[in-house]
Amino acid sequence: MKPSNQSASSDRKLGKDEEQLLDDLGIFGQSRRTFLNQMSAAGISLMAVPYFTSDMFAQASKAPDLDPESLLNALEVNLKINGKTYPLQVDSRMTLLDALRERLNLTGSKKGCDHGQCGACTVLIDGKRKLSCLTLSATCKDKEVTTVEGLTQGTDLHPVQAAFLKHDGFQCGYCTPGQICSAVSLLDEAKRGEVSYVTKNVKDEVTQLSDEEIRERMSGNICRCGAYNNIVQAIQEVHSGKAEMPRWEFATEEQLEASRPAE
Amino acid sequence: MKTKTTSGIGNPLSRLEGKLKVMGKAKYSSEFAFENLAFAQGIQSTIASGTITAIDTSEAEKQEGVLKIITYQNALELKGYNGRVESPSTKGISPSLQTPEVHFYGEYIGVVVAETFEQARYAANLIKVTYAENKHKINFEENLDSVYKPDKANGQPADTSWGDLEAGLQEAAAKIDVTYNTPIEHHHPMELHNIIAVWEGDKVTAYASTQMVENAVITIAETFQMPKENVRVITPYVGGGFGSKLQLREHATLGIMAAKMVDRPVQFTVTRHEMFTAIGFRQHNQQRMRLGADKDGNLIAVGHDTTSHTSFTEEFQETCGLMTRMLYKTPNSLVTHRLMKLNLPSPRWMRAPGEAPGSFALESAMDELAHELRMDPAELRIQNDTQKDPSNDKPFSSRQLVECIRIGAKKFDWKNKWNPKPGHTQKENWMVGYGMSASSRAAPYLKSSAEVTLKRDGETVTAVLKTDATDIGTGTYTILGQTVAETLNLDIEDVQVELGDSKFPVSPGSGGSWGAASFANGAREACINAINNLKTLASTDENLSIVELMQQADLTEHNAKGTAAPTEEFDDYSVYSFGANFCEVWVDKDTGMVRLEHFVNVASAGKILNPKTAYGQIIGGITWGLGQALTEHTEVEPNYGNFITRSFADYHVPVNLDLGKIDVVFVPEEDYIANPMGVKGIGELGITSIAAAIANAVFNATGKRVRDLPITPQKVVTTPVTA
Repeated sequence: MKPSNQSASSDRKLGKDEEQLLDDLGIFGQSRRTFLNQMSAAGISLMAVPYFTSDMFAQASKAPDLDPESLLNALEVNLKINGKTYPLQVDSRMTLLDALRERLNLTGSKKGCDHGQCGACTVLIDGKRKLSCLTLSATCKDKEVTTVEGLTQGTDLHPVQAAFLKHDGFQCGYCTPGQICSAVSLLDEAKRGEVSYVTKNVKDEVTQLSDEEIRERMSGNICRCGAYNNIVQAIQEVHSGKAEMPRWEFATEEQLEASRPAE
Repeated sequence: MKTKTTSGIGNPLSRLEGKLKVMGKAKYSSEFAFENLAFAQGIQSTIASGTITAIDTSEAEKQEGVLKIITYQNALELKGYNGRVESPSTKGISPSLQTPEVHFYGEYIGVVVAETFEQARYAANLIKVTYAENKHKINFEENLDSVYKPDKANGQPADTSWGDLEAGLQEAAAKIDVTYNTPIEHHHPMELHNIIAVWEGDKVTAYASTQMVENAVITIAETFQMPKENVRVITPYVGGGFGSKLQLREHATLGIMAAKMVDRPVQFTVTRHEMFTAIGFRQHNQQRMRLGADKDGNLIAVGHDTTSHTSFTEEFQETCGLMTRMLYKTPNSLVTHRLMKLNLPSPRWMRAPGEAPGSFALESAMDELAHELRMDPAELRIQNDTQKDPSNDKPFSSRQLVECIRIGAKKFDWKNKWNPKPGHTQKENWMVGYGMSASSRAAPYLKSSAEVTLKRDGETVTAVLKTDATDIGTGTYTILGQTVAETLNLDIEDVQVELGDSKFPVSPGSGGSWGAASFANGAREACINAINNLKTLASTDENLSIVELMQQADLTEHNAKGTAAPTEEFDDYSVYSFGANFCEVWVDKDTGMVRLEHFVNVASAGKILNPKTAYGQIIGGITWGLGQALTEHTEVEPNYGNFITRSFADYHVPVNLDLGKIDVVFVPEEDYIANPMGVKGIGELGITSIAAAIANAVFNATGKRVRDLPITPQKVVTTPVTA
């Protein structure tokens, strides 16, 4: 159900691109008004960079092609994803990852290896992190699937998403949705006191995670760009509530002068 | 004029496209939705050399949903090599399925197109191929007698020399003569190589993950012998490249061919398994290092001989001796590169081709020499510094290597921590070691164009910048946004950047550490042209704001293009970035396991456009260097010639727990010879000499010199103590 355009901010009209962006982001009604009050028109454009201004994205938002003409061993499954139910006919061999990406146009979950070895496809199934490339769609009946697209509440990024952005916990961004889903689940696991391979005494409940605990618990998610240290900072900041400081600096003029080679 | 303080260059802005990435909304090339999309699955050869004698597709054809099976028997005719052996080019042709000949294990020999991914994949497994096998050449050691001197080593002279190496070695008070081996490595960007090919009449659009948009257009046009104007390439986001996406490879050709033959949009994704043979790799390099110094530590002889392998269809050699030619002063130098041909896929460029393995050899050898001389290895580097490039006598446009070393040593507390006696520091069951290295990487600058569109709405002006450059994780969106904001004096919120479409002005693409410098100067030129145009249109030469200029000219929209290119002066200098690395490793006394505890990198790489994204480049490079040093190794199976490490379970890239604390210091540098903005590359400087620093620290911890990478626990345990 799509609310009318009139529900948007009253003090200015939205452009077509902006309408489309907000629709795509799932921001309607009251949250759309809140959103617009927070951002300038250009700010929305920035968020959309380069989302709808170029015709190269004309294809990106098209409705996906549901049920293909021929399927082998077709099964009916109601996939419940991010609170919405999608009735689908799937090939019995179709993974949850391929159903998300190829049938539902939910391309946030990424295919990095298709073997359960990289973590890029990580989603939450009934609140726990799972590899969607090792999960057959047909097994997801009656289960609640949350993908990276479902973590954002209205206009607000999930705290883990916001921390990844702040601490540059990615470069190319391809492993990022999997890292974020994994991190969200990790924080829940910590609340439950779960232990890990690096826990000194596994009889103890671990609720305060050291950096090493976070590293171990995130080691199922490969980042080939090598943003690991920023990922740890992002997760630690959300976990501990304390600000993590950047680990880069510029050399001062004095340092530079003192280190010059002899002529 | 109001001044902006937070949006211009030099500020640690979060990535402009970052919000889309953390929300899962950034669209990578295989994520565009098309009605009637068909799926292609490749079929790969299972021999290393020979000819296909029969292909039985009957079972596969019977399968539900199969639309077409393409092999050399029915493939579209493409421009082929016709027996020519060429050096790979980023805009070279990518022919496939043109002959029944097989040149390596894992070569694409066919493709199945079906309604669904599952159907294509299953049917591909049902195809039976029969071969007439040739005797193949696989083994590096066994073919050492077949080496030859290539015309060029990645565009550089294969051999260079000055003085008399042998004479220098004779004179030397301290010398070393050792051989290092670095194994085959694979890029493995997280985003699999892919394409969605869409034909409309005689025009094709390729949604293809690539680092170089314009060159991808040329590759497609040349391979299919069609006009360049009929090809469009789109790649707004690239999920990592590291050199593997410089040239559009055979999978793209197959996707485009399949789409033509089934008359539907086709998606072809290279599987992770196929990523080992379909997109290139870093070759195995055997490097002999000969260094000689007088008793005070002055280098008087530097020899670096690299032997590597290429394929039978292409000639490629990374220039391992590049850094050896320019980093230190020496009166006698000999640097050579030799190749053999093996029935393996053609090697290609991988992050810092040449420097990454070459710096491991040079900077390990320098550490060995320092040990011979009983000198502080940091002091040995400082002592042999030169402000003139010894390979061509040109001055460096800027060189702050000594500054990097001294600042890094202080930050790391090197003088107090490092002890020349290996094994001096122990903690519980760990032997603690400290190592350092110096690094350098060329800072090229290439012609790059951009277009800026200004729109005024009352008192607000917004700018949209377009260029066909790509952001492969390097921060291109962000640094170009900052460049435009700075040049036009706009708030960053009022700037948009659009990349990765061949309809946009041509850039050199992402590669070779030229991206930031080239793209940013191109963007700046477009903005400067816009300002100058507006001044003319507003009939003023005052320095008014963009809003005022557009108001005075009574304009609501203005469009300007710009192109930046190096001047002749650039060639009068050697233009490089420099850096220094210091690290602490812990080695388990019993298992030989090495862990990185702390790393300090100091980089002198021109104007840092955004320290947050630049830091990302450096820590990424260190992560790569750590993988090179400790874990990454592609193993060749000796009988069949396939790679037996063909998944992340056996090709080990670093994971989160493998990393330690990393501190980075940027040394301010103003180098306007490099380019008008003084920007130098940093992405490949970041990996250079990292493995050497780690290996040197392992030696310092254990007294064991492991000269064959990666330094696995087994090698640490079995290598004898030599100090």
